[in-house]
Amino acid sequence: MRRPGASRDTSRPLIFIALALVGLFWLFPLVWALFSSFKQRSDLFGYPPTLIPADPTVLNYVSLFERYPFVSWFLVSTVIAVVSTVITVFVCSLAGFGFAKYEFRGKRALFDIMFSSMAIPFAVIVVPLFIMLAKTGLAQPWFALIVPWVAPAFGIFMMRQFSEQAIPDEILNAARIDGAGEFTIFRSIVAPLLRPGLGALAVWSFLNAYNNFLWPLIVVGDPDMYTLPLGLQAIFGAEGRQYDIVLAGSILAAIPSVIVFIALRKQLIDGLAAGAVKS
Amino acid sequence: MTRAPYLFISPFFVLYALFMLVPILVGIALSFTEWTGLGTPVWVGFRNYTELFRDPSFWTALGNTAIYTVVTMAVVLPLSLFLAMAINARGLRLRDMFRAVFFIPVVVSPIVIALVFGLFFDQQYGLVNALLRAVFGFGGIEWLTSPAWAKVVVIILVLWRWTGYLTIFFLAGLQNIPRELYEAASLDGAGDIRSFWHVTLPQMKPISAFIAVTVLVSTAQIFEEPFLLTRGGPGEATMSIAQFIYRAGFERQEFGYAAAGGVVMFLAVFVIGRMLYTSLGIGKAK
Repeated sequence: MRRPGASRDTSRPLIFIALALVGLFWLFPLVWALFSSFKQRSDLFGYPPTLIPADPTVLNYVSLFERYPFVSWFLVSTVIAVVSTVITVFVCSLAGFGFAKYEFRGKRALFDIMFSSMAIPFAVIVVPLFIMLAKTGLAQPWFALIVPWVAPAFGIFMMRQFSEQAIPDEILNAARIDGAGEFTIFRSIVAPLLRPGLGALAVWSFLNAYNNFLWPLIVVGDPDMYTLPLGLQAIFGAEGRQYDIVLAGSILAAIPSVIVFIALRKQLIDGLAAGAVKS
Repeated sequence: MTRAPYLFISPFFVLYALFMLVPILVGIALSFTEWTGLGTPVWVGFRNYTELFRDPSFWTALGNTAIYTVVTMAVVLPLSLFLAMAINARGLRLRDMFRAVFFIPVVVSPIVIALVFGLFFDQQYGLVNALLRAVFGFGGIEWLTSPAWAKVVVIILVLWRWTGYLTIFFLAGLQNIPRELYEAASLDGAGDIRSFWHVTLPQMKPISAFIAVTVLVSTAQIFEEPFLLTRGGPGEATMSIAQFIYRAGFERQEFGYAAAGGVVMFLAVFVIGRMLYTSLGIGKAK
């Protein structure tokens, strides 16, 4: 009799090698960008193209800091991403817990409204939302880049899944018998139990805010308030397509998001997957 | 019971009302007016809509968006499933590393990616043409300046950026399939291919439906990839609906017209998405 899974066992090294090759191919654009940011301009456009810089230089990085307010862009992006993340995690975990662990009138309809808002394309609200904010004087970056986006439906959905899995009803009931208020229960019992989910949501939210491009492009007119993507776009759009400098800027801009991702990759990936699967 | 659950979900609903519901209503009202942002909007009835459907740019944008959506559904989805199955192979070493490697493109800002791809596909100096020249002896493809090739590059970019992201959802779905089902299939004499059709695919239906709807909604509003790569060019050859709306609103100050474009897009995406959700029964409150 054929052993179950026998063919899988023999093909495993092949799968490993294939995945490794495709994986290298996948990473190549980023590796190439990293090496190229140390190239001289002539080297960047030389033929045949090379991966390793012929004569490595840090000049691109030096010119970046000398000619552009890169530090300011970096600070604006980071502060906005961190503040958005903190508020998002709070709002979504509270709502996710509310949907997961309570029975209340209208729950089903309210959940459906929340869930279907995920299918509303951003391009639909972008024009009227901008006009509303501009007319009420709220189109300033600190407000417009943060407040409208701190309650993403996907985050609530994800936190509901986590709450259902991670929080036993007995603990909640025991705390209620001890006389604890509902918000106290959330803060002191639920939040600690949700910690892996909160981590996943935090990374997801940070990356979204940090990399966002279209909305800042519309809202931010003042160059002093440029976020990193807007700043990079400004260098790139400036006279003479400064590929060399913009590559250096891209590498520096990518570092925080890649570090956050590598540090919390398992939480993020497992968290996203758990949010979608256990429905 | 207490008012607690209402209080807990209220921040979402307040923000939802202010920054989603009201803008949608304002957008619908605006779509029946002509307005450049100064003075008061002028009521024009359905004129924006009739103009929209006569506007060749709108049809181009709609067609391009349809191509991106269909190709993404037809190529990226199966590819992600395939990749997920490879990563899910029993006893594979470095599984978590592979997941992370393929996921990394979504972590990096799209402008960085568009820049790198722009350099890769540059007709004169780009790596891709240089490789083609070295291997096949020709390499003058106008990747970013011919209407057809520019679309291909946008699709390659979408594929590179989103395949690994979707893979993790398929992977989670695969890991949820009880192993006994495969063992039973194997005892019945089913080979790898038979058990793929009779165990894997049916078991993956719910998660695939969720992924398909997510992909539909996000590809229908694709903006960054074509905009950053070629500004929607050459001409309007890669312009998406989202960029059409952006251009009408923020480059030409035709706010009423932009709002009408938004309403049409909303109807298309929301209705199709909602129908898929309901018919497949995902996301129901328990």
